[in-house]
Amino acid sequence: MRRAFVIALLVLASVPLLYGVGQLPPIGSTDNPTYTHVVPRYIQQAEEEAGAENIVTAIILNYRGYDTNGEVTVIFTALVAVLGVLMITRSDSGPSVPISPVPVSPVTRFIVRTLSPFILMFSVYMVLYGHSSPGGGFQGGTIVGALLIVLSLVTESADVQRLLPPAVKVWLQPAAVLAFGVIGIAGLLLVGSYLAFPVEGDLVFLRVPWLTVIEVGIGVGGAVIVASIFWAMEGSA
Amino acid sequence: MEGLWNNIDYAASVVLFLIGLYAVIAKGNLVKKLMGLNVMETAVFAFVMATGIVTGGDAPILGAGAHEPFANPLPQALILTGIVVALSTTALALSLIIRIYERHGTIESEDLWGVE
Repeated sequence: MRRAFVIALLVLASVPLLYGVGQLPPIGSTDNPTYTHVVPRYIQQAEEEAGAENIVTAIILNYRGYDTNGEVTVIFTALVAVLGVLMITRSDSGPSVPISPVPVSPVTRFIVRTLSPFILMFSVYMVLYGHSSPGGGFQGGTIVGALLIVLSLVTESADVQRLLPPAVKVWLQPAAVLAFGVIGIAGLLLVGSYLAFPVEGDLVFLRVPWLTVIEVGIGVGGAVIVASIFWAMEGSA
Repeated sequence: MEGLWNNIDYAASVVLFLIGLYAVIAKGNLVKKLMGLNVMETAVFAFVMATGIVTGGDAPILGAGAHEPFANPLPQALILTGIVVALSTTALALSLIIRIYERHGTIESEDLWGVE
């Protein structure tokens, strides 16, 4: 009864939504409103102004750099909040989350271990060449984070966590925020405003190294944050 | 009606959004509710990405072999930001669910009525 009511409600809600999307301009045309305001400038001038062949990277790290700076702060804050929620002293009486009793298959373990160096190599390539080919800091960092999580699942989690001693981990977790801060202040000192990239003159050669520093910061920070969130949740199980 | 058929990608995101909304409303398990929220987020991402499709467009990466027209790079950049925020909210919600389970021994929302 309740399910039928919910489905009826959703069908009712779908009518205005479907009517609305039916009125939108057709997909695939370069005359669409999303393509006509600022995008032509990005496409024509991104390489000249931002120094990145990958226009998406140019937008993320240069044109909308403040946005991305805020975003890495958001994910770092999420890590702090998760650790805060899970680490506060808890009453002993509560039940703990049950762990799956199914053992890991040796085939899975072998395949994950064999593939992990190649996955790591691929992610390093994605981070370092994010300015001129598909990829970037977030994508590469997420792959490393997923690799650490998979390794924690198929082998002893404590062995994987030993790769990152706590003294190192606390500096790698805010790596993305720190990289943005360093490049931002470098832009303030050398170019004139926070997170500004040199557009012309003697300092233009700095653009690709700066992009790479931010990408590596985002990659390392993202990977460690994703893995740390998993380990925090696992530790409470 | 013809407009809807031309915009079938948008219509697919609407359907995906409603599937997620169904899980959020009708399911009692908090983890299932959260996964429904994730499906809704994915639907919004797919919708915004679909606005950037260009028929016959090349990837927005300049360099050897690149040719006009390029796919719209702006939705891709915006959604990359959105995905990271979705990851952050999901992580925080999951850790809160873990705490709720540890405290009350259940994550069924109907059993959680009236608990302190």
